[in-house]
Formats: sequence, C-alpha cells, structure tokens
Amino acid sequence: MDIRKTLRKLQGRNNEGTLLLVLLAIVIGMSLLNPVFFTANTAFAVLRSATVPMILALSVLLVIISGGIDVSFPVVAIASAYTTVTILLATGTDVPMVVVFAIAAAIGAILGLVNGFVIAKFRLPTLIVTLGTQGVFFGAMLTYVGAKYFPELPPTMAALSTVNILDFTTAHGRANLHVLVLLAIVATLLVWAVLKWTMFGRSLYAIGDDYEGAHRAGFRVVRTQILTYVLVGVIASMAGVAHITMSRAANPQDLVGGELDIIAAVVLGGASIFGGRGSVGGTVLGVLLIQVINNSLLLVGVPSAWLRAAVGILLIVGVGIQAVSARRKAQRVHSVEDVMDLTVAQRKEA
Amino acid sequence: MSDSSFKDANNRLDSAVRGVIERAQANRSMLRMVLVFVAAFALFAFLNPRVFLGSLNLQNIMVASPEIGVIAIAMMLSMLTGGIDLSLVSIANLSAITMSTMFTAMVTGSGEFNEAMAVPVLLVGILVGVGCGLLNGVLIGIVGITPILATLGTMQILNGVAIVWTGGSTLYGAPATFTTFGKLAIGPVPMLFAVFIVAAILIAFLVNSTTLGRKIELQGANPVAARFSGIRSKAVLIGSYAVGGALGGLAGFLFLARNPTASADYGASYVLLVIVIAVLGGTNPNGGFASVAGVVIATLTLQVVSSGFTAMRLSSYQYAIAQGVILVAVMVIDAINWRKFRNKRPAPMAATGK
Repeated sequence: MDIRKTLRKLQGRNNEGTLLLVLLAIVIGMSLLNPVFFTANTAFAVLRSATVPMILALSVLLVIISGGIDVSFPVVAIASAYTTVTILLATGTDVPMVVVFAIAAAIGAILGLVNGFVIAKFRLPTLIVTLGTQGVFFGAMLTYVGAKYFPELPPTMAALSTVNILDFTTAHGRANLHVLVLLAIVATLLVWAVLKWTMFGRSLYAIGDDYEGAHRAGFRVVRTQILTYVLVGVIASMAGVAHITMSRAANPQDLVGGELDIIAAVVLGGASIFGGRGSVGGTVLGVLLIQVINNSLLLVGVPSAWLRAAVGILLIVGVGIQAVSARRKAQRVHSVEDVMDLTVAQRKEA
Repeated sequence: MSDSSFKDANNRLDSAVRGVIERAQANRSMLRMVLVFVAAFALFAFLNPRVFLGSLNLQNIMVASPEIGVIAIAMMLSMLTGGIDLSLVSIANLSAITMSTMFTAMVTGSGEFNEAMAVPVLLVGILVGVGCGLLNGVLIGIVGITPILATLGTMQILNGVAIVWTGGSTLYGAPATFTTFGKLAIGPVPMLFAVFIVAAILIAFLVNSTTLGRKIELQGANPVAARFSGIRSKAVLIGSYAVGGALGGLAGFLFLARNPTASADYGASYVLLVIVIAVLGGTNPNGGFASVAGVVIATLTLQVVSSGFTAMRLSSYQYAIAQGVILVAVMVIDAINWRKFRNKRPAPMAATGK
C-alpha cells in the first residue's frame, strides 16, 4: 500500500512522473547509442532551441488551464516584437534591452486585451475568437507595420544576440549557452509562482474547472479572463523578442503556423484541454521532450521529417492512455452497489 | 375563370414566399449568411464592376471554392457530432500524394491505359481518405480521446508521413484525365464546382434524410441522451469521421485536378480557414446543429470577398483582416441577440471553445 502511495505521488497529478521517466529513458538510451549525445554541447543546443517554444508554451498553459484554446499567440508574439523592431529601426533610436522588452510587452498586452475583451464580454468560444483575431492581427501587422525582412537588428538587440552565459570548447566543438535561456527560466519560475501562490492563479484553475461554479463562488470571472489574455499577450511578446534576437533578424512571417505544435507540447505535459488542470512542471517536460526527440532523431540519422510524425504518435499515445484510464475510473462507479463494492475492496486492501 | 386562376396563382406564390421566409427564419444563421453574401457581391460589383463581374473572375470564384468548400463540409460534419477535425487538410494532401505517386508509378506510354487508370486512382485516393477517417473515428469513438487532440495527433502523423514520403518536395504528375476534368465546364459552371455541389447535396441528404444523419445530430446535441436512447455512439462517431475522411480524399482529388502537383504542405492555411467557414455557415461548434447550405454559402462568401479584394487591388493581408473581422463580428452580433431574446439569462457555457 505504501509503495503504491509513493508511486502515485511520484507519478504526479498530471502524469509528470511518467513524462520524466520517458524523457530520462530517451536520454539514457540515446547516450548509450551515441556518446556524442551526452555532452554539454547537446544539452546547450536543446536548451537554446527550447527557449522560444518554452515561453510560448507558458502562455498556452495559462489559456488551457482557464478552459480555453488560443491560436493567436504566435501572431501576437511576432507582431509585438516585429513592430518594436520596426519602430526602433525607423526612428533610429537605440534603447536598452529592458525598454525593448517593455515596448513589446505593451503591444502584446494591447493585443491580448482585444482577445480577452471579446472572449470574456460576449462569452464566445475562445478557439473561434482567436482564429478571427489571429487573422486581424497578422493582416494588420503586414499591412500597416510592414512585411519587410530586416537582416539587421537595432544595436542593443544585435549585441544581446551574441551574449552567452557559458562558452567553452569541448572535445565535440564549441558549447555555448545563450543568455536568453535565462529569460525562459525566469518566465517559467514566475508563471509557476503566479499559479501556485496568487489569487489570480487559483481563480484560473477555478474558472477552467467550472466557469459557472467559479462565478457563483464569487470569483471575478470576467476580470480574470481578460487579465489572462493580457498576460498571454505579454508572455508571448517576450517569446517574440527572444526569437527575433536569437535568429538575429526580424522576419514577420516567423513563428506563425506553429501554434498547434506548441499546444501539442502543453497537452503532452498533462494539461487538460477542458481546463482546470495543468502544471508548469509538466509543460517544461513536454517542451523538453519534443526538443530532445528532435535532437535525437538528427543524431541517430533519422531525417528530421519524422519529427512531426513522432510528436503526433507521442501525443496520441499519451492522451490515449489518459483517456482509457479515465474511463476505467469512471466505469468503476456507476451505482450505489459499485460504491459499496469499492469501499469494501478498499477496506480489504487496507 | 382567368380571375380565379390568377387568384390561385397568387395564393400559391404567397404561400411559397411565406414558406421560404419561415424556413429562413427557422435558420437564422443561414439567412444572415445569404445577406452577407449578397451584400459582399453587390458591394464589389458596385465598386469595380468591370473586373469583378468579368466572366474570368466569376469562373475563378467557382474554381477556387470547391477544394475549400469540400473540406469545410467535412469540418461541419465533425462539428455536428460535437467534435472537430484538424487532420482534414493533411488527409487531403496524403490522398493527393498517394494518387500522384500511384499514377507516376503506373504511367506507361499508352494514353488509353493512362485514361483507364484515372478512376481506380481516384478510388484509391478516396479510400486513403476513408482509412485516415476511420483512424480518427477509432481514436475518438473507441479509445475515447478528445476529438481536438486525436485529430491534432493524426494531423501531425499524416503530415509527417507525407513529408517523409515526398522528402519535402513537390510531386508532379497526375492522370491527364484529372487535369482535363479540372478544365471542363458545363456551360458557365466548371466541373469542379459541380463536384462540390453534388458532394454538398449528398451530405445534406445524409444529414437530413438518413438515420445515420439523425444519429449524428443527436450525438452532437447531447451525447449522454444519445447513449441512453440506444444510439451506438462508437459506430456513429466512426461513421461520421469516415465520411469526413472520404471528403478529405475527394478534396485531394480536387487539389490534383486544379493543379497537377501534390505536396505535404499544400493548403496549410486551410486548417483554420475551414473552421471559420463552418462556423460562419451556422455550424454550432459545440455540436448538434449545422447546415450544409450555410457552409456552401459561407465558402462562396469568403471567396467573393477574397476575389473582390483582388479586384480592388487590395492585398491578401487586408483580406486576412477582413476575414477575421467578419468572423468576430458575426459571432459578437449572435451573442448580443442571444441575450436579448433570452431575457438576459446567461448564454450557454461557451468558454470551453473545443
């Protein structure tokens, strides 16, 4: 009994334990297959490529916990960052990085406010609304801000793009850890803290679990929903700035179209598409798992074309197991007799 | 005598008009879409009659809409069951790739043989679609995975298979019969458009006049009630996703007939566009209500707006804005009416969004 309890605790509420096990199995398996895999170079490369998806996944996590689905976040990310770069380049001003982030965050917040207002005020399906606003934001950026590709960034951003926290040469070449990985880590910790310790985080789970119930319990549902989408806009804009900085060029067509991949990573991380469930830990594991698989496939020599199929299979298997076990649990309790049987069985076990 | 026959005709006309109006009122979203369609058409016809009303432009609208429309009808079908199907475009591409590869592998010098192969190739393409649809149906109906996640997964898998298969490049080669078919027209109506309309009529018949259609509707309206009414949900779900898959396969054929190339990433923007069309056409994204005619008109409306924007020399980016504004505006107007008609009772829970 005790073993079972500890096992259940290790498994985690959203299957984080299982996910961690799969991740570890892949890492160990890959290291045995190809020693090159278990190096700082690979680890840093994975962290670097996971930075932008991780920050975007955090914004998706917030929406999914609140019971919605947002497909406009990549557009919000690239639109706020690209607009910021365009403003800076057009005016020829050079501002510190903090200001760059602040301008992008302000734009992201405004776009998020539009989403939140329409969704919360009119109680519309989130997927449909964000589908609409996605088109509006994207079209507006390309029409009124510009559709040009900027190969040169403002000086501060260009300078930041080459900064590494760690930079050394190993037997397998240069290994460097980009400074913006820190941004992803800080954002992750902040979102974790908000979800765990603030009233806002609690109301997010409450609304996602049962909108009407949360409303009657006195949660300010409209305000929380609007704030959620504003926050999503701000977080997404951070990802946008990080993406443009790390790719050392501003392309307005970037990121867009990858929304479903990020949602897949978050769902893989155990967040429930019906809302009310999901954790930062699971999301981190989901994002890392996809990046590690991507990297592994390349190392084993499997064409990266298989990545999409691999993620799809992983998603189906992961969600399928959850669905089957949830149904088993639901089937157990159907009538008073079932409940009696269950309690008897539990007593026997004890 | 002539007076009474005139009166008779008048009465008949009156009742016919009233019938049309009643039916239209019963189907408010349909009427709304017809109004938007007429308004959009009139606006662009007024702004730039020479280009917009030109036969070339009208032909283009009818040639471009079938592939999107067929996928939108398939999307409507899955929404009718209370689900969603994100894998449709991937299914269409996979079917197009299968047909193209199969044809290229079998192609010989003799033109007659090539012509004879067109029908079997088409059948295989549609079977590929049905197979993918069955996979979706099994995952959703039997395994019990939420539709949006199951089809998100199969979308990635099918798309991945297509990328691996083609190596990421574009395949050339389709039966010449397909291409000639794509250029055929009955009078002013292109054959492709006729295929779209026939498919729409068949699905409308399936939904409105068959037991499977009624079961699909009930399943979407209230899955628990459907189960307790003795409807075998698993079979209904598998059936409706298989039909959706067949439509996806048909869309693959339309891709090839319009343009004899197949690639893994064709029509990537269609995935979300067909959701927009289905919802504009009056489909309830939570299931239980849909109208094929509404979806057909929504498809044409978006195509009219798109070509109208081209005729006005506006960019495709501006069209993207218009598309989004139309969707959000229609949804918001709907939401406002709901509250007034229902005595300010809260609207049904819609925030889950599926």
